[in-house]
Amino acid sequence: MIDLQARASQIETEYVRRFKEGGGKVVGYGCVATPVEIVEAAGLLPYRIKAFGHPDTSLGDSYLSRFNCRFCRACLSLGLDGSYDFLDGLVETNGCDHLRGMFENWQYAKGLPYFHYLKVPHFVRDDSLDYFTEEIAMFRNSLAEHFEVPVEDEAVWRAVEEQDLVQSRLRELYGLRRRDVPALSGAEALSIICTGSSMRASDFARLLDDILREYSNRKIEGFRARLMLLGSATDEVDLVADIEGQGGLVVTDALCYGSRSFWERKGESGEIDRFLAEKYLGNLFCPRMFTEYERRLRFILDRAEEARVDGAIIVYNKFCDLHGVESAALRADLEKNGIPVLVLEKDYGSQSDSGRVKTRVQAFLERIGK
Amino acid sequence: MAGELTRPREGLFNRVYEIFSVVDRIPGDLTDPEVEGILHVMPRELRKTMQAFLVPRARDASLEFLGLIKRWLEGARRAKEEGRKVVLVPFNFPPEIIFCFENAWPITSEVLTTLGVAALEGQGERYWDFAMGLGLPDFACSANMIEVGSALTEIDFAPDIVLNDCFASCDINSKTHEFLARYLGLPLVFLEKPPDDTPRGIRQYYRYFRAMLSDLEELLGERLKVERMREVLDRVNRASELYWELWDLHKFRPCPVPNIFSLMTYGIRYTMWGQEEAVSAMEKLVNIAKARLHRKEYPAEREVARAWWTYTSYYFDMPGFFNWMEENGITHLGDGLDLVFPRIIPLDDRDKMIEGMAETARNMPMTRQMGASSMSAQWLEDIIWATRELGADCCIYCGHHSCKQTWSGAAVVRKELLARTGIPTLVLQGDSWIKRMTSMESLQEQIKEFVDNVVSRKKEGRRAVKRRTTGVTGGVSRS
Repeated sequence: MIDLQARASQIETEYVRRFKEGGGKVVGYGCVATPVEIVEAAGLLPYRIKAFGHPDTSLGDSYLSRFNCRFCRACLSLGLDGSYDFLDGLVETNGCDHLRGMFENWQYAKGLPYFHYLKVPHFVRDDSLDYFTEEIAMFRNSLAEHFEVPVEDEAVWRAVEEQDLVQSRLRELYGLRRRDVPALSGAEALSIICTGSSMRASDFARLLDDILREYSNRKIEGFRARLMLLGSATDEVDLVADIEGQGGLVVTDALCYGSRSFWERKGESGEIDRFLAEKYLGNLFCPRMFTEYERRLRFILDRAEEARVDGAIIVYNKFCDLHGVESAALRADLEKNGIPVLVLEKDYGSQSDSGRVKTRVQAFLERIGK
Repeated sequence: MAGELTRPREGLFNRVYEIFSVVDRIPGDLTDPEVEGILHVMPRELRKTMQAFLVPRARDASLEFLGLIKRWLEGARRAKEEGRKVVLVPFNFPPEIIFCFENAWPITSEVLTTLGVAALEGQGERYWDFAMGLGLPDFACSANMIEVGSALTEIDFAPDIVLNDCFASCDINSKTHEFLARYLGLPLVFLEKPPDDTPRGIRQYYRYFRAMLSDLEELLGERLKVERMREVLDRVNRASELYWELWDLHKFRPCPVPNIFSLMTYGIRYTMWGQEEAVSAMEKLVNIAKARLHRKEYPAEREVARAWWTYTSYYFDMPGFFNWMEENGITHLGDGLDLVFPRIIPLDDRDKMIEGMAETARNMPMTRQMGASSMSAQWLEDIIWATRELGADCCIYCGHHSCKQTWSGAAVVRKELLARTGIPTLVLQGDSWIKRMTSMESLQEQIKEFVDNVVSRKKEGRRAVKRRTTGVTGGVSRS
């Protein structure tokens, strides 16, 4: 059986090393608002920045403060200690105040050869779509110019098709989690998505085919409750494993390293840059988007309903403004809809937090009678 | 906790309004012993604040300022009574835009919080605690959450519309106000500044600005009228000229502008800019500073340090902050909230006036720096400009714990400021509006150590070098 956990635990994976050895270039990005099709069409490897719960933030702390999200400080530390030296460039997005700080300080301290700031509006309207369409066109030109490669429309449309394939496979994968007797755990699903976020789409689609074949007849039994996980940037496979270790199987999620990154990614325009603007801005289920709370709530309720969850855990990193405020509203609204909620504020990557997290999950399972 | 907040009188706005109605009755011609007597009968927190405002050097200006605040609060109440709309805005949204509408009146989240902290027993903590009780996070910004916490009790004076222009410059501010609007079922108007200062980014901002005005026009049932805009913006222009006059007065050594004028300047800017009261209050500040310059007055024996506060100041103990500093020879030249960059708006026609307001809004504090293409580069540039203009010899970053966006750029700004200008920065940590995080005594100690050990020594070093190179002794130049 494919060892999912091992694949997802390294920053520079075997896949990345082979890609680089073959002369490939790797471009890092931090947010699911980045249209990776553009990077793929340029023949590059889009690599989503992760820290996998890396506990050492000392280098990052010399630039960001202890009031900044520890996930961003951990990523920055890895950027500064050389773990990300395989990157040939970095794409900044204005996902949140912490993420912006991470990118700015990274570039300030390290100075990557290619650095592009993709500015993502905070709402969906014709005028913001116009702006984002131009942003995407500028991103294309900048990649083409720096890496001296053509990024033609046809290539981008092909990349869209490949992403569509990945997304349909991921939806199938989530189908395995939703079964009455699930075939895949939440930790495994997170590992798969993290693995795929460091691969080119065509290769990831093949890997997903293998996983679907191997795991489709598997049965996970003996768990106490079906849980949904939602909240801020969570690439901590160990955290999900800890939650599941208490008997609550995570059968679905609304995480940006999860369903939010692929679920409803569509556009309508026949013009590729506009299509991508619609696809990415129009389906960004992140609390950074203003005045879209009702859409996000609907998205979460739909995922919860189809997976028949017994409860939801809202997990966010200390100092995450977006999810911190959102959690107060979500808790009330999910409970109004009959879904018990545990709000779990945590310190990213902190081993010392693990015991507390387990205790709270145990108490939650008892509260919901499981 | 909610049980303790069930009477309308207990809301922040209502309590503050009542207190300022009383404060507004203090006569302008009191003797010092009479002021002492009045302070003596005031509740503790209010007494403390009034001690800062009623020191002789600031008293006349303070009474004008406090009267302006009372009329601002009263304006909101009257608007409500008359069926006009009260619009809750953040500090970085120019209130004159709301004054351009006949059917609207602005109230400002952070100003209300500051007034509550300054005047109420227990400061703003009960409202903060109420918000925490709803599950809002303890790393939220007290500047917003105290006023918003009070509004969330649903027993206080409530706005009719929430307007926010903070996304892209402050996540917590935008999310807090979005939460409030949804919780109270209020319409939410928004304005985004793309983090993009290229001509294209500016054009897009203007486009969003016009869309925001259309949303307001629709909600208020009123189209902006050229004549009213012209009247309001004419007053804005007059106040702006006075702002720059006061700015220039800070350049003299020792600084003739009392420290607390920094707070008053933006207190005026964020409330009544566009009203006659703002012009009159700015005139008062300028005239007092000019008179002090003429008389060469300074609160301490000598001016030891000229400090620029790179973001906000501290507001939970005004005498302990503003007055303590200047009485120890530390001039507060201003802080990031003073960087409002007022401009003279052409009044020729509707389009020019709208564009002028948009440009003003784009350059408001926080929007301009944190909403820039680079959150550290524009902030640094503005600090360098301000320190050079005003001859600052040190900077202090208040380290308000919730300002994650400034914390994201603070290290770069500190390093680059030192490298490019030689100006050192003291980095503090605390909550600008809640006293229980870092006490004023602790802040004073850190400021004093910094001034004594870094700023003064640096100056001594410069003087010694000058003495060595010019052969001058005794500190008196004979060259």
